[in-house]
Parts: sequence; C-alpha cells; structure tokens
Amino acid sequence: MSTSLAAHPDRLPDALRPPSLTDGPVTLGQIDDQVLAFPARKPPLKWYLAFAFTGSLALFGLVSLGWTFFEGLGVWGNTNPVYWAFDIINFVFWVGIGHAGTLISAILFLFRKRWRNAVARFAEAMTIFAVICAVIFPLCHTGRPWLDFWLFPYPNERALWVNFRSPLLWDVFAVNTYFSVSALFWFIGLVPDIASMRDRTAPGLRKTIYTILSLGWRGAASHWQHYEKAYLLLAGLATGLVLSVHSVVSFDFATSLVPGWHMTIFPPYFVAGAIFAGFAMVVMVMVIVRETMNLQNLITMYHLDVMNKVILAMACIMGYSYFMEGFTAWYSQDEYLHWGFMNIISGTYGWAGMVTIACNIVIPQLLWFKWVRQNYAAMIFVSIGVTVGMWFERFVIIVISLHQDYLPSAWQVYKPTWVDFGILLGTFGIFFSLVLLFARVLPVIATSEVKAVLPASQPRPELHVHAPEPAHASAPALAEEVADA
Amino acid sequence: MDNTTKLHAPRRLLTPPGPRYWRSLSERIRKPDFSLAAHREFADGDEEPVPVPADAVSRRRFLGLMSASAALAAGTVACSKPDRGTIVPYTKRPEEILPGVANYYASTFAEGLDTHGVLVKTREGRPIHVEGNDEHPLARGKAPLRAIADILRLYDGDRLRRPMIDGKDATWTDVDAKVVPALKAAGAGTKDVLLLMGPVLSPTRRALVEEIKRVVPRLRVVAWEPAVGDGELIGLRALHDAPLRAVTHLDRAKVVVSFEHDFLAGAVPALVRDFTSGRKRGAGAFKRLWALESGLSVTGAKADERLQVKPSQAARVGFALARLLADKHGLALPAGLEAGALTTFAPSAIAEELGVDVARIEALAADLAQAGRASVVLAGSSLAPEAHAAVHLLNAMTGAEGHTVDVSTATELEPLATWAELATIVKGMGEGAFSAAIFWGVNPAYLWPDADAWKAAVAKVPLRVRISLHADETAEGCDVVLPERHWLESWGDFEPALGLLSLQQPAVGPLYDDRQGEEILLGWARALGVTAPEDYHGYLMARWRKDVWPQGRPVSFEIFWTGALHDGVFRRSDLPPRPARTIKGAIVGAAAAQAAKKAGAGAGEGLELLLRPGYGLYDGRYANIGWLQELPDPITKCTWTSAALVSLADATALGLDDGDLVKLEAGGKSLEVPVIVQPGQCAGAVTFPLGYGRRSGAVGKGVGQNGFALVDMAAGGSPLARGGAKLTKLGNKVELPLTQAHHKMEGRDLVRSFTLAEFEKKLHEPTHGDPHGAEHDDPIHTASLYEKPTYADHRWGMVIDLGLCTGCSGCVVGCQSENNVPVVGPEQVTIGREMHWIRIDRYYEGKPEDPKVVHSPTLCQHCENAPCENVCPVNATNHSPDGLNQMAYNRCVGTRYCANNCPYKVRRFNYFEFTAFKREPELLVFNPEVTVRPRGVIEKCSFCVQRINDARMRARVDGRPLQDGDIKTACQVACPADAIIFGDLLDPASAVSKAAKDTRGYTILSHLGVRPSITYLAHISNPATTGAKGA
Repeated sequence: MSTSLAAHPDRLPDALRPPSLTDGPVTLGQIDDQVLAFPARKPPLKWYLAFAFTGSLALFGLVSLGWTFFEGLGVWGNTNPVYWAFDIINFVFWVGIGHAGTLISAILFLFRKRWRNAVARFAEAMTIFAVICAVIFPLCHTGRPWLDFWLFPYPNERALWVNFRSPLLWDVFAVNTYFSVSALFWFIGLVPDIASMRDRTAPGLRKTIYTILSLGWRGAASHWQHYEKAYLLLAGLATGLVLSVHSVVSFDFATSLVPGWHMTIFPPYFVAGAIFAGFAMVVMVMVIVRETMNLQNLITMYHLDVMNKVILAMACIMGYSYFMEGFTAWYSQDEYLHWGFMNIISGTYGWAGMVTIACNIVIPQLLWFKWVRQNYAAMIFVSIGVTVGMWFERFVIIVISLHQDYLPSAWQVYKPTWVDFGILLGTFGIFFSLVLLFARVLPVIATSEVKAVLPASQPRPELHVHAPEPAHASAPALAEEVADA
Repeated sequence: MDNTTKLHAPRRLLTPPGPRYWRSLSERIRKPDFSLAAHREFADGDEEPVPVPADAVSRRRFLGLMSASAALAAGTVACSKPDRGTIVPYTKRPEEILPGVANYYASTFAEGLDTHGVLVKTREGRPIHVEGNDEHPLARGKAPLRAIADILRLYDGDRLRRPMIDGKDATWTDVDAKVVPALKAAGAGTKDVLLLMGPVLSPTRRALVEEIKRVVPRLRVVAWEPAVGDGELIGLRALHDAPLRAVTHLDRAKVVVSFEHDFLAGAVPALVRDFTSGRKRGAGAFKRLWALESGLSVTGAKADERLQVKPSQAARVGFALARLLADKHGLALPAGLEAGALTTFAPSAIAEELGVDVARIEALAADLAQAGRASVVLAGSSLAPEAHAAVHLLNAMTGAEGHTVDVSTATELEPLATWAELATIVKGMGEGAFSAAIFWGVNPAYLWPDADAWKAAVAKVPLRVRISLHADETAEGCDVVLPERHWLESWGDFEPALGLLSLQQPAVGPLYDDRQGEEILLGWARALGVTAPEDYHGYLMARWRKDVWPQGRPVSFEIFWTGALHDGVFRRSDLPPRPARTIKGAIVGAAAAQAAKKAGAGAGEGLELLLRPGYGLYDGRYANIGWLQELPDPITKCTWTSAALVSLADATALGLDDGDLVKLEAGGKSLEVPVIVQPGQCAGAVTFPLGYGRRSGAVGKGVGQNGFALVDMAAGGSPLARGGAKLTKLGNKVELPLTQAHHKMEGRDLVRSFTLAEFEKKLHEPTHGDPHGAEHDDPIHTASLYEKPTYADHRWGMVIDLGLCTGCSGCVVGCQSENNVPVVGPEQVTIGREMHWIRIDRYYEGKPEDPKVVHSPTLCQHCENAPCENVCPVNATNHSPDGLNQMAYNRCVGTRYCANNCPYKVRRFNYFEFTAFKREPELLVFNPEVTVRPRGVIEKCSFCVQRINDARMRARVDGRPLQDGDIKTACQVACPADAIIFGDLLDPASAVSKAAKDTRGYTILSHLGVRPSITYLAHISNPATTGAKGA
C-alpha cells in the first residue's frame, strides 16, 4: 500500500490537488445516458440546419472540382512560376489540422494525461475527416488525375516503377499510413461504445450495423485485455506518425531548391505548426459540441484551459521558427533567401506575411491570461485567428516563395479564382458535414475512458480498511453501474 | 507545255557526309554511278532508302511471319481498343515522297522590299517548317522569323477556298465572264482600270504586268508597300540619277551608325549576321554600333552608344555630323553642295537640343572619320527624305558609298506609290475616274487611315475585284473575291540583287480551288489576246528559257531549270556590274535647307509619334498568325496588343503607369490604347506599333488598335513619323499580356556583360582567368547523394553567345514551329501561362531614362544534376545516356513539382487542352516527329531530340559516326546571329566544346550545383568613351 501524497489526493493541499476532470458528481450511468443517448435520438432541428449549410458548402466544392475536371487546371489561379497554390496550401493545412487528434489520442495517452480521455474521440474523428479533406488535393491537383494510380508502386506490364527519390512519393506513403493507422486507432477505440450502442438500440437496420461494427464485443475481461493492448500498440504506432507525417510533408519543400523552401528547420517547424492549427480547430469544435450537446459536465473548462495552454506553447515555437527563418536569411548571406524573406514582410504579398505573424504569434499571446483561456468568445477568437494564420502561413511558404525565385524574368503575381475558393470552402463543408454525421451516429466521447477518470474509478485506499482489494481496476465502477441500473 | 518538264526539285537528306546534303542534279551529272543508285532507290514498292542488312528478315519471310502471328493474335488482341484512324497505303505512290522522310524544297519568301531564300521542309507532301536556304548567297541558311511563322497562313482556316461573286460561291469561268468584258470595255472607254498591289520585286511578274498593260492600255498599275515609309522612296528617287537600293555590307564596316533603322531585329538576317560576325573578341576589329533613335529598338538595345533622337531631329543630327566631318576632319563635301548649306547645323546647338554632351556627337563624327570607308550610316525608312539625304551625304563623305554601301549589285527601287500619291488615287475613285479596280494582295481598306472615306470611294467604282488569301477588309467592299495562293503554293522569281535570281516553287499542291494572283491576271491577259502559256509556271519557265537560260552553256534547259530550282537561286554572270553613282549635292543642299526650315517651323505643339511596323505583325498581314501575335516584343515583352510606348518623363507628367488607357490623338484622329512606360524612350516621343486592330480574321480581329489611322499623309513628309500627337489619360487600366513582368536583375549574377576594356582587364585578374570554372568544380557545390551520370558516346550541350544575341526572338518562332508549341491567347499570357520553350529574358540596368539592356535566351539547361528529375514521383522526366534531360509526356501525371524545382523556370504546364481541338487545316502544320502534348502534362525544350535522332539514324544508315554539325537545333538554325552553338561536349574538337571553353563562358546559377549543359558567353560591348557618359 502506497503512502505517497499522490496516492492520497484528499490529503494534498488544494493548489497541488489534481483537478477534477468532470464538473460536479457524475455517475457512470449518467455518462452513458448523456453520451450514448444522443445518437439514438432523432436529431434536433438545429442539426438539420447545420447539416444543410455544411452540405451546401460541400456541394459547392464538388461542383468546383467537377468544373476543374471538365475544363482543366487552368480554371485555378495557378500559373507559371506558381505551379502550386491553393491546392498544396489546402493539403498542408488539412493534414496539419489532423495532427491535434493524433497527438491527443496517442501521445497524451502514452504520457498518461488523463484529461485527454474526454476529448480524444472527437479529436481523433477530426483527424480522419481532416485527412479525408487533405487527400482530395493531391488527388485532384494533378494535371491528369485519372492517372494518379501511377504514383503507387504496383507491378505492371510496362515495367514502370515509381521514383523513390521524390518527396511526393514519400508523401503518398506517409499520408496513406497516417490515414490507415488513424482510422484503425479510432475504430478500435470505438468498439466498446458501439457495443453499448448496439445494446441500447431497438432491432432494425441501425442495430444490425452497430452489431457488425462492434465485432462481437461483450465486455468480457479478455476483450478488455486485448483491447487495452491493441490500443496501447496503436498509440505507440500513431505517436511516430504524429512526428513523421508532417515532417515528410515538409520534405516536399525542404528537399527542393526553391529559396524559402530549402530549410532544415522545416520538419520540426511543420510538426509544431500542425499541432498548433489542430488544437485551435479542436478548441473551436469542442466549444460548439460542449454547448449544443450539453456536455458541460464531461468537457469542462479545465479541458479547454489545458488545450489553450498547448496552443500558447506552440505559438511560442512558431515565433521562434519565424525568427529563425529571418535569422537564416540574414546569416546565410544568401541573396535569394534574403530576397524571399523580405517578400514575406513586404512586397506584393507582404500583407499575407503580416497576417501570418499577427495571427500565429501575436494574437495567441492573449492566452497567457487565464480569463482568455476560459472565455468562449476570447478562445474562439484566438482559435479562428490561429486557423486563418496557419492557412496564410502555408500561403506565405508556397505562393510567396514560388512567385519570385531565381530568375526575375520568370516572376509572376498569382491570383486565385472563384474555383480555388470554391474548393477551399467545399473542404470546410465536407469536414463539418462529416463531423455532424459523426455526432449523429456515434458517441462523441469515449464512455469507458471517461469512466476511468471519474473519482469513483480511482483507487480509494480508505475503502481498503473495510473491503478486500478488488480483482480488477474497474470492478468498483462496474459494481456502481449495476447498482444504478 | 509538256507536263514532264514541270519538275519540282526536291532536296532530300540522304547522302554523307556533312550537315545537310541533298542529291542534286549537278551530282547526277558528275557521278557516273548515280543513275544506278537512283534506280535502286526508286524501285517499285521499295519504301525505304535504307540498305537491308544481310541478316534482316526478308519481305517474303516477314509476310509469312505476319500471317502466322496474325492467327495467334486474333484471339488475344480482341480486347484492345481498335485504332480509330484509317490507314490507307498508297496505291499509287506520289513521286518523291517517302513516308517518314522529309523533303526539302528551296523557295523564296518576299516581304516589303526584301526577299529571302528559304528551304521548306515537307513531310508526306505538306510543308511543316521553314528554314533559311544555305545555298542562297544572301540568306546563307537564315530565314527571318516572319518567313518561318508565315507557314501558319498556309494552313489558316480563314483562307478563302473558292471564288465568290456578290457574296455567292462561283466558278472561275463565272469570274472570267464577269471580269474580262469589263477589262475589254475599259480599253475603249475613258476611264482607267486600277490594279493596286504590293511591290512587284519579281522580274517575271513585272514582265507579265507589262504584257497586260499592252492589252489593257488604260490599266493603272499602283504598287504600294505601306510599311516602307515614303522618306526612303522620295529620298532615293531624288538623290541619285537612278533609284538604286544599294546592298549594305555590314561585314565590311567597323563603325555602324543607325538612324532609326532597326536592322538587328532580324527582318533581313544577313544584316544581323554581317554585323555580329565582327563582334567577336580576338577576330579582328571589334565593330562599334551607334544607334540614334527615339524609341528603344532591338538595335538600340544592342548599341554600344545610343543617343535619343526624335525622328524630326534625325536630319539635323545628320547634317551636324556632316559639318563636323567637313570642318573638323577635313572630309570633302560632294560637288554641288556648298559648305554654307551646313552652317545652320551647329553641333553644340543640336547636342543641347538632344540634352547630351557635345563630346558624344564629336566622338561619333570622329568614329566615322576614323573608320572612313569602313563605316556605314543607315536610315530607317520611316524618317523624312531630308534625313535620308543627310545619311546619303555622310556615306558619300566617308567613302562608305561604294564600299559598305555597294551599288554594283544594287537593284532598282520599285516604283512604289507614296501615301500622297495613293491619296490622289482614292480621290480619283471617289470621283468616278475608274471603271474597275483590282486589289491584289495589299489590303488598303484596312490600311487607309479613314476607313469610311475608303469605303465611300470604292463604292463609286463599278467593278471591284479582290485577289487575296483571306476574306479581309478590302474583300468586304468588292463584288468579285478571288482566293489567292499562299507563297508556299506558288511559282515565282525574285531579284534581290543584280543578276541574282531567287526562285519560288510550290512546296505543296493547292489546298483549295484557288489560283496564284499572277495566274489570274495571266488568264485574263490570254482572254484579251496575249499569247502565253496557260499557267504561270509555264509562263515563268518560258521567260527563263528566253531571258535567263545562258545560251552557249552545254546543259539542256530542263537540267538548267531543275538545277536552279534545286538550289533556289541562280546567279547570272552575263550582267555587268552597275557603275558607281554620285550624290546630287544640290538636292542635299535643298534637303538641308528644308530640314532647317522644318526645325524652325515644326518645334511646335505636342509629342512626336513614330509608327513602327509591328514586331511580328508587320503591316497587319500576319495578324492572323497566332505565333506572331504571341511573340513577345523583344523590348517591351508585350504580346497580343498594341501599346503606346511613352517615356518616363512624359509618363510622370501625365501620371501614367503601365496599362493605363490613354487617348492617343494625332491629326484629328484618336485611338484608345494602353501605355507602356518604356525605359530609354525619348522624352516627347511616342512609339506605336502598326499591324493591329484588324477587322477580320479569327485570330487577329479586334486585337489592339489600328495605328494606320494616325498616318500623316502630308506630301513629302514622313507619314509614319509625325508631330502633333497628344496623349490624354482616360482613367481606366488594363492588364497587359506581358511575358516578363519584372525588368531588373536585382543585382543577381545572371547575365554577364562587360565593356571590351573591362573584360580585357578582368582577364588579367587571377580570379577571372576562368570565369565559370571556379564555382563549377567546387566540391561543396557539386557534391551529390546520387551518382554522377556517365555518358557512353555523346553529351549534348549548347553555348549561347550573348555577345552575338540581339534578342530578336527568331529562335522562339523557330522552336514554336519545330516543336508544335501551342499558342495560348492573351488572357493566358496575362496570367503567365505562355508555353514558349525558349524565351528571351530581357533586363534593364542603370538609369531608367537611358538604360543598358541585356538579353539572355533561356531554355531548358539540361542540367547534369537536374533538380526536376529527382522530384518527379513517376520518373516522367529523367536523364538520357547522352545527357538530355528528357520528358516522357505519356508518363507525366502533372504534379508540376518538376516545374517548381526548376531554378530556370523553363518548364511549361498545359493548364488547358491547347491543341487537341484543332481540326484541318490548322493541324496540318504540326511536325509529325514531335508529340502534341495533351492537357495536364509538363513540357519543355528537348534540345530538338527528334533532330538528334534523325541525324543519328542518317549517320547509321550511311555507316559513319555522327559528326559535329550534323545536328542543328531549330533555335540554332533560326538564329540570324549564329549565337547558338549545339553539339557534343564530349568531343573536344566540336565547335560547342571549343566555345564552352571561351574565357567569356559561364553557367547561370552554377552555385546551385545543378551543372547545366548550356554555357553562356558574356556580352561584350564596345563603347566609344569609357567612364561617365553625358546624360
């Protein structure tokens, strides 16, 4: 029996006591009712209105894409030196958004940050939806998208092979791996909850689908044992991916010789940026989910506060990176790099550089204040700022670097078209439509994980005087649940 | 005439060795075994001129294998898609045509007062490319860019296809029935018949016109070339007894002075080459070029010394120079010209007016005096007659006349009409003085400044006949519209120099129910009683048999004729050279007085306006050629529109910026045009291009504004250079279709340029002993993770001599024609999506009012360590064993990563489907050896890989190794300055290897370690005064 302070939280001074991860007393049954009931009910009118809106946006995006396929890439603004623009900006942006989910679900899991349990499911779902939005771009931005399958190394009668030197090929593998591991991780985590949904659904199509997806889960101890192991292993796998995916994406730029792209700082800087943007998106969506689905007691201000702190930390890393970019431009004495850096803060697109710096460095400094971290309006303002800022950061990297590189004779100003904006808006539509659908059919919070962090699930040494040691950690919780029922 | 004698003379690439050899008839005469070889080659059914190796499959064996495998294949190929095309073998093979083998025909292209010997490359009977004729003593293998591009007019879908009367389709019989009686009646009546046409140039055509004049006595023949200014015509007629157009020998000159004469623009390639050939270091005297001009031209950009002189000042500057030559250098004035006539032209006064230090004018005079007969002064045809008088005077004083200005082989100037003379004709038409009018070629309804006045005047002529390629502006007002043949379908002869006859022969059969203009006239002449052969071909041969065929020679006429056709030229040796001419001093004196008078009276209001023939469009006749519309002007880099060029000072005064719309007014007419603020433009002078604002043609219609509306028709003046122009800012703005938007090098080491003195000094500094070697071999910059490529036999490379390159852009057109490069249109150019595989980078340096200009042709550098290659995810671009960075269009998915990673930005992406929608006849122009790229793929310069492979195969067939010079890229062939050298870098004896070792050599962006295969040789200029120049 441990006698350490940590094991006896009620003996700690208030300041050191770990915060409660729920607001008010919550029973295990309440969690199930709260979380699992939502998908079972017919959704409220506001869900339909929201879906109509996001669905329209998605449709507009699809029409824009259709127009692109019909006419050719010329309907975009991309031009001769700026061969990549919105397409790759959006790709990097959406891949980045996904990173918060994996960080929360995998890395924070390994670090035993228990506050993650309430938000991991949602964040992870966002990862998958963001990656879906992201892959639209590399698939559709090629000149001949019907030949995209040539990027896969498949045996063929022409004995043609892909070029393993190309960072674009590394991208194909990185993003594919990322998507499949994330989807698998997410799905494994969902299995116990889908089983609960199955048990709470009247027979019918829904029940059949839940039954199939729950993979015969019965909550047996052996199931839990395998589940925990699989979850841990996948968390380990996904942890590497958090770092690798955006590093590989950054290689598209870092390994090239375009001034402004060719930088060794890019991999860590891209990963930090991705987590930064991802957390901002998670905060925004969480605030909405918390209010509309009445989950204030499970997703507390403490959760939002912690996530805002992560955003602040990342903002500081971004600030350092931007500074280092400027320092490298000056210290390298490379006239091309210097010219490129001056373009970020002045010149045709100087405003975009300024927007980036303001949104990513200056505005997040507000998060030093606790009231900002715990005020909806303030944190949403910061999060929107970060989302816009990170989009513009990719604009700065891609468009500004490309529009003026080595030979001034080839320089050209880039202007996006309505199709470019249409596809960008369309991916937001697709993303939020998927989020809404997810909330409609699956539990948005991992009930078993939240139950595990309830005070009731914690070891209670004072009980040991009267009762024998429980066989399984979650036994008391189960007992309580039985009593509730 | 017997049909068998109407021989085409094909030039075929067959026999060894050397760059290009044809089986010529002279060879046939010399070589006894030739007939045997010819027999073998043209044996029935033998499709290939390739000797069959002993172990090859015989035809019978092949057919046997075929039938066996066909049975096997029947089951297996059933699921593959059938070929959509229909392949029909020749049942009766056309003579001379071997599928897959190009035929070359020598012909002649005429434009303005110049003619150019060309070779027309045909494949399967259709012309696909035009190059210079290297056996032609004037062309020497070079064709002007408009000759290369004019092949598009042959395949122009807008061409007339059959004769029309009153807007309805008709037959040639109907036409004759309508026109011949009218011509007959004209002979009896009191009214004239007008024949308005382009310059005659051709001796046979001249003979034909004379013959028609005999049977239609009231025929009034008016030849008109609107882009040639009246000043030259009037000046030449007055200054000498006979109006001879001298042949200019720039190769003999050490000092060249150009008054508004853009001879380096390449309209006459011989002038460019003769000039640049004397601009090589260490090869004798280094020529110096002075340009005195108002707008920045290609010549001015290349000039060692440039003075900003308005057209109205040119004559006075010329006379001031003459005064300096006489007073300071003691050169004699010609007889009849008193020294007093020049006293009004004080050099100090004119220098003050120009805003330059008088020392520069004196330096120019000193240069002329020092070079003496090895100098030449040229005057642009737009200048006033007085300026031409001054230039003739200068040439006479220095002794250039007779040396660099050679009249011994001069041809007589065409009897061309001036604008003023034409005005009286138009007036006559309006007054009903003509019973019929035939408008042949030249397009007066477009050219005439007042379109309504023209329409009204023409309406008064009872019978109006139009002979032209297109249903153009003039055809609109005519009741009989006759389709003319393109020059590539026509016969003809020209006399570019005395006794030098240049032949034109069809390279393709007529595409439509059309007739050559001469043939139409010939038909009418025969109907009116002239006895002549039925067709113009026969007529031409008959005249040659009578006049040209050297009597006393032991060759039959057939052999003589086919020989001349084969060569494209024939030099008569039976004509005595023309005697030297003397300038009429009194006329010069009068001109000087006139110039002084004009200076007194004309220092009036407004800006001076110079109307310059469009760089690609000339006088508008080429407006329907997409290649020329999209050809960037070498200086402004503007395409697809006519912009007024204004000086910085005027732009500041009027608050103008690039793209601002202005009202350009002159002589009561106005145009709404965008402006370009042009560095180096003379303050107070505006330049505007001609040839835009056509009212017909699918491509050219409505592109830009018609500058001919502003022509000044006052008699004796200079219609294309006028005063009294005015600019008014309109307030709105357009985006200009420029191919280059940034004009400064930003201090980067991209185009190296030295003065001769600077370079000699640098050569002796240790760091510049090997200007490109040091950084090139730096192990840090050349380190690579990947293996260095190894080469088996060849490594193709190029050297571009910036010292010779004038920026004329002939290479751009040559490449576009050779490589099926698409035209994208003004909207796409505006946003930067032009497709040219080679572009001419142009940078300004120094003061914007008087900048230094450098040009640098930029194309794929075929880097040894190519950054595009390792980023392509599908290996669509990779390295060939002979050093080419090659592009597999079929494999390209279109990620465009290669283009991002190309530091030279020479890769081009097909944002839309630019070519596949083309239908006949437009698609006939495509080179079948170059893939037409679909939408969504990247393309770029291939170093003309099809030419490399063609030469390789020919060498193999001939059983010999490839030799230096066997392969010439299209840009190299088109370059009038010979600034591009292509060849094998592994062969130390090749021209390219030697040139790459030149001390001027460097590679662009070599610090990136990409190891380009193109070496640039730094530009060297030869200014008169080192150090500070007068502002």
